[in-house]
This record gives sequence, structure tokens and C-alpha cells, in this order.
Amino acid sequence: MTGWHLDDDMLRRYAGRADSLAEGASAEQHLLSCEPCRARVTAAASVTGLGVIDLAAVWDRTRDAVEVPRPSVFERLLRGAGLPAPEARLVAVASAFRGVWLAGVAAVLAFAALAAALGDARGMWLFLAVAPVVPCLVVAAGYDPRLDPALEPELVTPYPALRLILLRTVAVLALALPAVLLFGLVVPGETAFAWLLPAAGFVAVVLAASTWVSPLRAATAVSSAWGAVVWLLAARSGSPDAVLQARAQAGFLALAAASLVIFLLRRRRLVQLRTWRQR
Amino acid sequence: MDSGPGDEALLLAVAERDMGAFRVLYERHAGWLAVRLARRCNDGDLVADAIQDTFVAVWQKPRGFRGDGDIAAWLWGIAIRRLVSRLRTRGGVAAVSGPAGPAPAAEDQVLLSVEYGDIGQALARLSPEMRAVIQAVVLDGLSAREAAQLLHVPVSSVKTRLYRARAHLRAALAEGSS
Repeated sequence: MTGWHLDDDMLRRYAGRADSLAEGASAEQHLLSCEPCRARVTAAASVTGLGVIDLAAVWDRTRDAVEVPRPSVFERLLRGAGLPAPEARLVAVASAFRGVWLAGVAAVLAFAALAAALGDARGMWLFLAVAPVVPCLVVAAGYDPRLDPALEPELVTPYPALRLILLRTVAVLALALPAVLLFGLVVPGETAFAWLLPAAGFVAVVLAASTWVSPLRAATAVSSAWGAVVWLLAARSGSPDAVLQARAQAGFLALAAASLVIFLLRRRRLVQLRTWRQR
Repeated sequence: MDSGPGDEALLLAVAERDMGAFRVLYERHAGWLAVRLARRCNDGDLVADAIQDTFVAVWQKPRGFRGDGDIAAWLWGIAIRRLVSRLRTRGGVAAVSGPAGPAPAAEDQVLLSVEYGDIGQALARLSPEMRAVIQAVVLDGLSAREAAQLLHVPVSSVKTRLYRARAHLRAALAEGSS
């Protein structure tokens, strides 16, 4: 280097902001090219207590920031939609695990839709048996800790459970619905949309039931019950029209409404969140 | 005098995702960057955020350094701009570090004029606002727009003050030499 260095007095004035503009400018110009003087400034600032910030804490934050993987496309989409970053993370964590799961669901649905498209009454029944329970299974899988170990640490911090559940339900449905709708297009006639109201009803039932039992158990029970009903109907009439009747559809709507009311009334007893908190 | 690998070598290692090298780089530079940033902004939290942003940016784009000049200068260029952008998003925070402490004693003034000659005295006579503008534009190399964001004044004021400061310095120097 030049052999010229900041003297200790100057260094102290610089770190303590007691220098003039010309002094400071000259010091800063020198610092840019002088490693030892930079180190001395850092030392002077920390020794005299003039260090304005906690560099160790900032290092921890910086390391955390660079070690966190880049947010997924889905998470960035949620943030773009105006959701604050932590909430986007909460919602996206569930969906991150859903990829494989959704693929399986899509495959099952595809087979059902194909069978229905072939015009066989049994294929139609298969579609009607599978499609309505897909959303509630997906929603349930969004919350069950047995499927989702990443959820456990989230609940260390207090968070409005209702908000979390609803946010996630919406997000998971937003993922699942397009796929199911797409396969529904393959199915001829009104059957393609007949499953929408039952699906809404089942999701609401699962949400309501999750105030008593775990969502996954509720979803399994609902799916089995629906399967049994479809099987009984198919055995008796052989035509899928029964589900399409306005009376049946109104029934599903009533089921959805009643379940939502129960869910909202009992929201403080969400089984899922209670078990998480006990750990 | 220099201990351990040079900054260039560290930066190369950071590009290879070497967290150890990143840490060394941080410990070597975060301190003086923080001291210098704190001279531009009174808010310690903002300075801390700017330091964090700076090193996150370095981690993400270590190859942004093109090998010309000092790595310290490159880091400072990032840091001051991160501070400006933090100030912009935060808004309404007093950014100027105000007049630089108590006025220097008469003895110091004499020393200064010896050391810096007429230019030092001319600079010392500038108003705090003009000094802040000179510091941001001339010394920190910010654009008028960035300086305006740093100082929370309109761009037009930065330009006017810069013009006046130049005229003032020119006049002071002409007076001193005659």
C-alpha cells in the first residue's frame, strides 16, 4: 500500500462521527483500498461501543436468509396474490407435500373419467364415487401431521387456527379443483358437474368433524360412507341419475351449510391444533 | 500484513457456495460497512437490514464483481444502494446523520486547514444540507435520484443544492488563491 494509514485519533473521530466532511471523505477513500485500516475501523467501533448494530445477530439473519431455499413457484404466486410472506409459507408447506399425492389422485380420477367416457354405466358410477371425495381427502391431507411432519413446528408460534385452516383449505382446493374439473370434462352430460355440490358438502363435513377427530379419519369415514351409498344406489337402480336429481343436490347443499355452521361454532375445539399444541 | 485468503479468492469460494468463506468475507467487511452506513442513516435497524441485504445479494450474485477495482468498493456500492432501497420502502425515517457532531475546536480547525488546505475550510463552511448532497453524489457516487431518496428531498433540490455547493466551493477556492 501507500504506507499512509489513518492515525488512531482520526480513526476514533471517524467511528464516532466527529470528523469533518473532508476528513471523512479522505478516510473513506482510503478505507476502500486498505484492508488493515478497515479492520481497525471495525475494531474501533466495537471497542468504543459505537458499533451501531449487532453484527453477530445480522450474520445469523443473513445466514438464515441465504440458507432458506428459494420459495416455490406456488409460494411466490401466493405472495403475488397479496398474502404476507409467513402466511404464504404456511399455506405452501402443505402443498409442497401434495405433489406426489395429487399425482395419485389425478391418476385415479383419470381412470374413472376414462371409464365414464366409454359410456359404461359402471364407469359413470366409478366417476361419481371418486370425484366428490377427492377434495375432502386433499383438504384432510393438508392438515394431518402423520402425512405432514413439516406442520408440527409451525404451531410452535400461536396462530389463529381458523385462519390457517381456511387459508389452507382454499389453497389446497385451488390446486385440486382444476384437475378434477378437467377430468370432469371428459365425462359426458351433467354428471360432469353433479359431483361439485357433494364435494363441497364433504369438505364442510370434514372441517366440522375435525373438531372431534383428526381430519384424515373424518375424510376416510366420509369417503367410505359415500362409497357405500354409491354402491347401494348402483346396485338398486343401476342409473346414476339419482345423484343428479335436484332434491339430492339440494340435500348436499344443506349438508354443506349445516357442516359449516357446526365448524364455525366449534372452531375453538379443532382436534388437530390441540394435539399439535400438546407436543 | 494480510491474513488468510484475499477477497477475490473468498468471492470465488462463495460462488462455489462455501459458507465458511462467506462468513470470513462477512466478518472482514460487515463492520466497516456498518460504520460507514451509520454515517448516512441514524436508524440502526435500517443499517442492519441494509447489511443483511448486501450480503444476501453477494451470496446470490458473487459473480457480479467483475474484477475491476477493490472488492471493498464494490461492496460499498451494493450497501449504499441497499440502504437507499430500504429507506424507500420504509419511508419517513430521518436519514441524514445531521451535522457531524459538535463543531471542531479552533485548534482542530487550524490542523485541518493545514492538512486539507483551502478545500477543507470551504467544505466546512457548507451548510449541512449541502454537505449531505456532496457526500451522497460526489463521495458515494449515487445518482441524483438515489441521493434524493437517501436524503428524503425532491430530486430537483438535490440538483439545486449540488449546483450551489459547487459554485460555493469554486468561489471559496478562487478567493483563497487570489
